[in-house]
Amino acid sequence: MKRSALLILAAILVAVSLTACAGKNGNSGNNAQSSSSSPSNESSAQSSSENSATPEEVIDPFAKFAEPTEISIGRSIDPNYKFEGSDTSEDNIYTRWLKDKFNIVVKHSWEAAAGTDYQQKVSLAISSNDLPDAMVVNETQLRQMVKAGQLADLNEVYEKYASPELKAVYDTNPGLLDSVTFDGKLYALPETTLPSAALTWIRKDWLDQLGLQPPKSLQDLETIAKAFIDNKMGGEKTIGIVGTQQGGTLYSTFLNSTDHWYNFSPLFFSNNAYPGIWVKDQDGNAAYGSILPETKTALAMMRDWYAKGILDKELGVRKSTGEVVASGQSGIFFGPWWSAYNNIPDNIKNDPKANWRPYAAPLDAAGKFNSNQATGSSFVVVSKKAKHPEAVIKMTTLHKWGKDEDYKKLTEGKQIGSNETPLFLILGAGDQLEYAVNSLRKYLAGEIKLDDVDIINYGWAHEMASHALKVKKEPMDDYDIQYFDQTTDAGFFTHIYAHLNGGSTFVDADINWVRSIATAQTKTMETRWTNLKKLEDETFFKIIMGTAELDSFDTFVKEWKDQGGDKITEEVNALK
Amino acid sequence: MLNKSFAKHYCLMLLPGLIWLFFFNLFPMYGILTAFKDFNPGIGILKSPWIGWENFQYMFELNDSKIIFRNTVAIAFAKMVGNLIVPLVFALMLNEVKNRMFSRTVQTAVYLPHFLSWVIVAGMMLDIFSYSGPVNQVLSGMGFERILFFADAQMFPFLVVGSDIWKEFGFNAIIFFAALTSINPEMYEAAAIDGASQWKRLTRITIPSIMPVTVLLATLSLGNILNAGFDQIFNLYSPMVYSTGDIIDTWVYRAGLIDMQYGLATAVGLLKSVVGLCLITVSYSLAYRFANYRIF
Repeated sequence: MKRSALLILAAILVAVSLTACAGKNGNSGNNAQSSSSSPSNESSAQSSSENSATPEEVIDPFAKFAEPTEISIGRSIDPNYKFEGSDTSEDNIYTRWLKDKFNIVVKHSWEAAAGTDYQQKVSLAISSNDLPDAMVVNETQLRQMVKAGQLADLNEVYEKYASPELKAVYDTNPGLLDSVTFDGKLYALPETTLPSAALTWIRKDWLDQLGLQPPKSLQDLETIAKAFIDNKMGGEKTIGIVGTQQGGTLYSTFLNSTDHWYNFSPLFFSNNAYPGIWVKDQDGNAAYGSILPETKTALAMMRDWYAKGILDKELGVRKSTGEVVASGQSGIFFGPWWSAYNNIPDNIKNDPKANWRPYAAPLDAAGKFNSNQATGSSFVVVSKKAKHPEAVIKMTTLHKWGKDEDYKKLTEGKQIGSNETPLFLILGAGDQLEYAVNSLRKYLAGEIKLDDVDIINYGWAHEMASHALKVKKEPMDDYDIQYFDQTTDAGFFTHIYAHLNGGSTFVDADINWVRSIATAQTKTMETRWTNLKKLEDETFFKIIMGTAELDSFDTFVKEWKDQGGDKITEEVNALK
Repeated sequence: MLNKSFAKHYCLMLLPGLIWLFFFNLFPMYGILTAFKDFNPGIGILKSPWIGWENFQYMFELNDSKIIFRNTVAIAFAKMVGNLIVPLVFALMLNEVKNRMFSRTVQTAVYLPHFLSWVIVAGMMLDIFSYSGPVNQVLSGMGFERILFFADAQMFPFLVVGSDIWKEFGFNAIIFFAALTSINPEMYEAAAIDGASQWKRLTRITIPSIMPVTVLLATLSLGNILNAGFDQIFNLYSPMVYSTGDIIDTWVYRAGLIDMQYGLATAVGLLKSVVGLCLITVSYSLAYRFANYRIF
């Protein structure tokens, strides 16, 4: 009993810390392919506000405020994170540096554990209209706040206080600021993490032991999972493919993107099904992916796999998928390139030979690698009542470009991340990941020198490159775990490992992107979606796990349409 | 008869309680208005436009409403009955054990789970009843198929009710122990002299003596019929068991806090409160009639 209680505690802690990292550690998660809308709207909006501004005062984005400027925030914290000494997330090296150097004093209005707790607390703050000066919210919350008129228009302070580097970042991510501009007012600073495709992560050391090739088709994947189970690669209780855990979803949706982390999205994509997002049907009209026949096909396949034991028997009920991966019980899961940051290191700690490799697979019948592009990310918003919105802009700038020599001295040998940094926001040029991966590879191959890595625009890539030789061993183009030195430069092992291992596969992948037509709730959705989503989740889980007939899918489609789905589809069509 | 100054002191002592009641119970009631409004947090509850009964109409249209209402009542009722009978039987049984040391130890051991939070207990349960957990190992050892308990809609309510009883019976038994010790031992001695057997003493003395307490507890718990236990179910459920496990509170949580449908969530919550109020009124009048229990 005691042991299982401890195990559960551990599992909860792991789950919490994993969700805590989910949004945060995928830093520099950008890709160039993502957005094609033109930046013209954005620049015209900016120039108009420039014109209306009173005589140009020159403001140095890196200057110290004359007076101590206090800013209150709502803060998500990782309950497992150990700060040095008596430091806290409110008072640590980073916040002290902000205070001493720039006169920005960060006060926590409230704190909540990262993940569901935090989201709940944000929702509560919004509904009670009791807002801190600034906080990080998700897309649904952002829209709710815009609708409720709770947010400050940031146009002016952004123009004045954002550093050229920050502006450049948003310029290279076209459309991003448009998505948070409503009626010409800029209501948020969006994170630049753009959707990433779900790769199939497999223990290559197991593949090698069994003499198997990496998967291409769904058939290959099934064969591999079966071989892993039959040969008990993860011990007696080997699980084929792990995915959704308790409280999780089967796939990322247009309202809730988890970057496909630990779900079963790829099984749908390779069947050309895109549940959870709004796609175009054969006639070019908007249709909800979950009710299309392809989704039924995918469900039929998953039902079959579940019955055969290929899919985790406890999908949807399992407390923590991360624990299964860390304990080495399973050799296959789906996740984005940055999965190499989150759970693989835990597994490697238990088993240093665990050689997790990502594959842009399974492919669909036509040999294409599909992925949806779920939006949804983090946004820093500023309350209308905030006295110093400019401090928020400044903090965002400083976080990325203000790290001077003093800062480097203060933080020498320490990793400063989202736990120390208030309003942590991932910011990078649109091609940051691509650049980082490519420059790392070229540098390791000896094609370029360290000085050739652009330190001004891609500081992170440069920093990683400067550590790369201590981490990567010969041969430089082989990213199997045995060619990494995990101990010499432990602080940078995960970064370089994740970029080379996951990042390179993602950057090289030829991805057929499918975007959702709608990216936020429509009017009818506001009232009907809880019900429709419940219907969808319940039906799909039951079909896969065999407690409902496959044909209950047809009943679901009918009910879905009757209970408001048709009306919502009309509304989405109007958005096109 | 109370003299005036005496009564004044009593009224003064009431004051802190009344203030507390006002701020924490009466004042927040104005939030109920949300159920009748198109709530916009930016302008507050009072300024949001009225929409009349729209939320309630929609609620009754929803298929979900019937399901969650049925689930709530069924689970809460089963818990009510179980939480009355099991502690009673347990207390009676332990009362017959003459070894003081033993009965004290058992008593302490069984009420400890009451102090564990549902997060912990639910985690343990998920582990114990998991596919490769001890329960399934025993089952498969005996030649049965393994069962995924927490994905089984038929099984779910039983697990919920069962675990709630397991967690609470020791604690609930305390009140019965108290009632048992208040029985005059002379009655047992007299009965023994008259030749009453152990069984006769139980049915003729013990049970009638604690009957009023039992009836009182039963009627009072009626007021809780719509509280099926958010913490517990929230930590145990999944979409697989929505059909039998989704209760009013979990649904309101999803609609209100996750999907931000404040009005609808408030309407459902309000309905629950209204029904709860009626039940409490009924249960208190019953408690007065059967157990002569009154608050005023």
